[in-house]
Amino acid sequence: MSENKFMGVPRDKIPWYPEIDYEKCNYCMDCVKVCPHNVFECRESEEKKLVVANTENCVVFCKACAKVCGPDALSFPDNKQILNLIKKLQKEVKE
Amino acid sequence: MASPPSKPNPKDLVVLPCSGLDKEAGSASRELALILEEKGAKIICPVLFRHSQERYAKDIGTGNLLVIDGCKTGCATRLAAEHGLKIARKLNITEALRSMGSRPGKNLRLSDNISNLLPSIAQEILEQMYSTQVVHAADDVFRKNVTYREFSIDKFVFRVPESDYFFNENDCWARVSENLARIGISDYLQQRISDIILFEPPKVGTEIDIFNEAGSLETTKIAIDIISPFSGKVVAVNQEVVEMPEIINQDPYERGWTVELELYDRDSEIELLMDCDTYFDYVKNKAEREYKELYGS
Repeated sequence: MSENKFMGVPRDKIPWYPEIDYEKCNYCMDCVKVCPHNVFECRESEEKKLVVANTENCVVFCKACAKVCGPDALSFPDNKQILNLIKKLQKEVKE
Repeated sequence: MASPPSKPNPKDLVVLPCSGLDKEAGSASRELALILEEKGAKIICPVLFRHSQERYAKDIGTGNLLVIDGCKTGCATRLAAEHGLKIARKLNITEALRSMGSRPGKNLRLSDNISNLLPSIAQEILEQMYSTQVVHAADDVFRKNVTYREFSIDKFVFRVPESDYFFNENDCWARVSENLARIGISDYLQQRISDIILFEPPKVGTEIDIFNEAGSLETTKIAIDIISPFSGKVVAVNQEVVEMPEIINQDPYERGWTVELELYDRDSEIELLMDCDTYFDYVKNKAEREYKELYGS
């Protein structure tokens, strides 16, 4: 079983990872280059040449990949909503 | 009688603009560079520079390079990085215009609206880079000596302060005194990302929510956000680190602080953070796990 937790909450319960807008993405792969956590995977032979493959590797609250995305194709959830969810889950874990 | 603040004197400023011809932001970058040139700065033509770097050897040597990107593609920044140029300041013209309520479009020619905003952006840059009016950080508050605990993994030694610091799980710290906090990144994180070449700070006066970005760092390979452990208003930026970001690698917990915040909700937010002892165990565990994943046992 994974020990991957963030602020005491199992990481897989926290929906923090980038979403790719394929209408905007131009497959420049800058996000892949800038992220040290292997969140993205390139799939040269597929129609969607870039996918978010390792969602749990994504560092909660980090948006560095979106900052380098020229066509603005990456989006993240709202920080406050995620923090509220973490607080709620923390309570559940304690109970 | 106090002397009036001196006017910015940008004679050693060198500007590398995007000048892209695919959208209005490129034209805005070019126009901003021209405004700065009229005030004494020198311009590096990005097209000519690609083929004739020696033309600009003398200008680049001043060490005061401003890179103006049109958009997040960051062509000018990349050009600087490809040639190993040390960037003193980076500006994304689209973001700067957005913060003023305007947005460059797809039209290649500059709109009057954007054209009218550029002189004030130029002035703001010059004031930030050259003004003698320094925002004084609360050095006296944070003067107390810091003592450390250490752990080693293989040849790597990691330090964590013994007290007065609080950490989030993004490996960013806050050193708190009353309603002020300095923030920065931990020794573990600076070693993980290695040689930092750029610190992009938030503006003084910016209001930052807890766990939101309080500036970003770039190495030659990657970029990371500094995730603020607290909510607050930016009251000072560490100019020494803006000019020499490698200080974060050398001294992450003291000279390497990045931003000073006036805290809004210290007591309740501190509950979401780790104290030094808890972070020591947390980061030791994390570093050991990562080492095992990378090198086996």
